[in-house]
Amino acid sequence: MSGGMLYGGDEIGALVFDPGHHSLRVGYAQEDTPKAEIPAVVGVASDDVKTEPEIKPEENNVSSTPSSNKYYIDTTFLHLPKPNMELHSYMKDGMIENWDLFEQILDYSYEKIIQSESHFHPVLFSESPWNQRQKREKLTELMFEKYKVPAFFLVKNAALAAFANGRATALVIDSGATHTSAVPVLDGYVITNAVVKSPLGGDLLVLRAREMLESIGVDLTPAALIASKEVIREKEKPKFTKKKFNFQPTNSWMTYMVKRTVQDFQQTVLQVSENPYDEKVAMNIPAVQYEFPTGYHQDFGPERFKLAEGLFDHPMLGAGYIASTSAGMCDVDIRPALYSSVVLTGGNSLVQGFSDRLSRDLSSRTPGSMRLKMIAANGTVERRFGAWVGGSILASIGTFQQMWVSAQEYQECGKAQIDRKCP
Amino acid sequence: MASGVTVSDICKTTYEEIKKDKKHRYVIFFIKDERQIDVEEIGSRDEEYDSFLQKLQAGGAGECRYGLFDFEYMHQCQGTSESSKKQKLFLMSWCPDTAKVKKKMLYSSSFDALKKSLVGVQKYIQATDLSEASQEAVEEKLRSTDRQ
Repeated sequence: MSGGMLYGGDEIGALVFDPGHHSLRVGYAQEDTPKAEIPAVVGVASDDVKTEPEIKPEENNVSSTPSSNKYYIDTTFLHLPKPNMELHSYMKDGMIENWDLFEQILDYSYEKIIQSESHFHPVLFSESPWNQRQKREKLTELMFEKYKVPAFFLVKNAALAAFANGRATALVIDSGATHTSAVPVLDGYVITNAVVKSPLGGDLLVLRAREMLESIGVDLTPAALIASKEVIREKEKPKFTKKKFNFQPTNSWMTYMVKRTVQDFQQTVLQVSENPYDEKVAMNIPAVQYEFPTGYHQDFGPERFKLAEGLFDHPMLGAGYIASTSAGMCDVDIRPALYSSVVLTGGNSLVQGFSDRLSRDLSSRTPGSMRLKMIAANGTVERRFGAWVGGSILASIGTFQQMWVSAQEYQECGKAQIDRKCP
Repeated sequence: MASGVTVSDICKTTYEEIKKDKKHRYVIFFIKDERQIDVEEIGSRDEEYDSFLQKLQAGGAGECRYGLFDFEYMHQCQGTSESSKKQKLFLMSWCPDTAKVKKKMLYSSSFDALKKSLVGVQKYIQATDLSEASQEAVEEKLRSTDRQ
């Protein structure tokens, strides 16, 4: 408990960061939702080719660095095409990969969202269950050395999600943008060697949906490029005018924007059928209409189910399969406890019908002697920001203050202290 | 990963009273001021399971609690003609779905501390609704570790 009480009390205004592949969630502890959700991509415009743009971006929107690169962060700046702006993601496999870009994001968060000095606020970070030691230490070093935080803590996001749903022991199914993982949590500790993950996540759905839409000839021009459009009848050729730019938007920007367009389509239209996909059944379910940014609109029937089926029909990587594999890798004694509290979290689990289908798939795999219970928060916010909400509460609990790794401890013991205090 | 909540000495002494001396039937614990786990209610030896459930939920739908119960049931071993009475202690964390996230979080992250200080409990049960906390569900869980 050394030094922990120096900044004790409840009024400490801790910050919670929850990095993911889709976005980084930032906000103050004790609040119900994050202050901001920043897309996990950074636009980098190098000034190597000196083509000064006419519309010079306002200086205060851009965090400039000693190198001549300009960085564009957050939805507002990303969605406007700029010459030579390439988009990069700083995440890989659920871990932070590109530290330079990540620092830019942190700078931006402190400056624009928190709007306060970093050395006043203890910071709680969430991490993926398979985060590497070297990366944890690097993050600790970064937070203490560069941002001078008074205290720091790292928690596995699965543990946070389990806590937020009232469980200390649970099997957490986290379906995010790039992967779906099954993580057993025992008394708040992640059983790391029984974590199972599959690459079937939201991005896969987006990819498949995009292929499908392109194959039926839908124009996926993103909204940011459209100046005006006319109302047309269903399945008619869209009539719209494009915005005029005197440069060509970069490929990575186009890819990202098209992805966002398809993502919206995926979130509103797709649905997982309760039973394994059957064309005949799917035909009988009412179709859903969707209008694309170009104004083109049509009904989507069986495709809705066929696309979403990809998350479940794989014999080895389907969500139900990885959940039962993960439970199977744990000790026999705790398996009943895991099956009786399956916690569902992650933005991709919000695809309609996801939880029903998962509980159906899992119940057929649950051993007869065990009871299956699935816990899925109803609200969109609780599901998408499950880990953040958990972190927000944990950091605000009075007695948690003694758990932090304080700056003093860091000075005395170095970055390895994180491995001792944060399992 | 724990919340840092501590367990008061009264919890331990009350636990010893129930385990060794069989003085009470059940104990309800709660977290006082988000800092310490304390005893809220003690049930006398002749009280039934239903009153335990009632006391567990006395705080309303938005509250979480821990409960310790000395459960008795008849068990018949295979190949024997007579059944014997069994006594088992179980510790339950009660976090209803309707409770606030903060409460759930506080109680679930502190459950480990309570588990560690009450040594000798046979079964730990996490309950979020009555289907998991009912007498039948609990008995089924306790019996699952018995020999047939």
